[in-house]
Amino acid sequence: MLPYLDKKPKGAPDFYFAINATFRFIQERFGMQQLIRYWGDLGRSDYFKPVADDWTKRGGTAVAEYWRDFFAAEPDAKVEVISTGSGVEVQVSQCPAIHHMRKHSREIVPEFCQHCYYVSQSLAECAGWEVRIEGGAGACSQFFGPKGSFAPQDISNIKRIEKRL
Amino acid sequence: MIGCYDFCGHYEWTFAWIDKNFGREALQDYWRDAIAGDSQMHAAMAIQAKGIIGMEEYWGHTLAEEGAGFTSVRTNDSFRIDMHDCPSKGFLIDNKLENHCDYCDHCMGWIGPTMEKAGFVVDHEHNHRGTCWWAFRPSESLTPSEESFEITHDPTWASEGTVIDRYKGATHPDQKTTDPSLPPTSST
Repeated sequence: MLPYLDKKPKGAPDFYFAINATFRFIQERFGMQQLIRYWGDLGRSDYFKPVADDWTKRGGTAVAEYWRDFFAAEPDAKVEVISTGSGVEVQVSQCPAIHHMRKHSREIVPEFCQHCYYVSQSLAECAGWEVRIEGGAGACSQFFGPKGSFAPQDISNIKRIEKRL
Repeated sequence: MIGCYDFCGHYEWTFAWIDKNFGREALQDYWRDAIAGDSQMHAAMAIQAKGIIGMEEYWGHTLAEEGAGFTSVRTNDSFRIDMHDCPSKGFLIDNKLENHCDYCDHCMGWIGPTMEKAGFVVDHEHNHRGTCWWAFRPSESLTPSEESFEITHDPTWASEGTVIDRYKGATHPDQKTTDPSLPPTSST
């Protein structure tokens, strides 16, 4: 269940340019620590509170439902959401943001994929959950489980985006 | 992941975050550098290269993609938009999202610098309720458009409690006058 609904069934993909530009601006102007702070503040903000509340209330069912609905509204996303015994796996075979930005030859912030960890982790923490991510740069695996399910995230397991010449 | 479906929601939240942590000047720099100069570089390139035709190409694509309700008119010396259903502000209103004091400022925040670089100025009014009009004209043109805008004849344009922001020959978000509950006007 998505907390905010639009009149269109899917988002406008050019907005990925603005998301990427926002990360670049904060990183270049204020530094990487402020960019990480931005992602964390967003994840635990009132903006995502309806999502955290739903995850708290309905657990893994809500987590799986959220990501299925989320990616269904993102253009050109190729994603499988799998409910496991106690958690949820999100297998992203085509990240809609990376796909669109590469299609338009945009320079992507190298740490772009880290936002998925920092935003989702701070959101999940509000619901007593956590996330770990492997891969990136167009395809990744995201594992959601109740707090205490996983070893700490190794950020180096999240790929940087290399410039394509 | 943060996505494009609810982009306007976290975009507006970001305005409040930058404003609160780094101040209004940083927010205006964000609109100018990140949005005009980076995200919307395709708009800047089209308008700098083709002028008014570039405006028509850019907004024709982007407003259709965003699902806007609008009409536009291109003349030899101006490009005009009547926006009667802004998809961006409309998303915020429909979802009761208001983290920043004036979301509508962001449009002039990035369009103003884009137009300035291309040699144009902006006449514009918005009513903070998802309707607005725009006229872009060469900066050497001293006279704003004389024709009234369709949107200003709508009875809801300046209904009670509405606050209208007005720009005339502007290129910066602070170049506005703000008037509460003004009657409908032409663009003059």
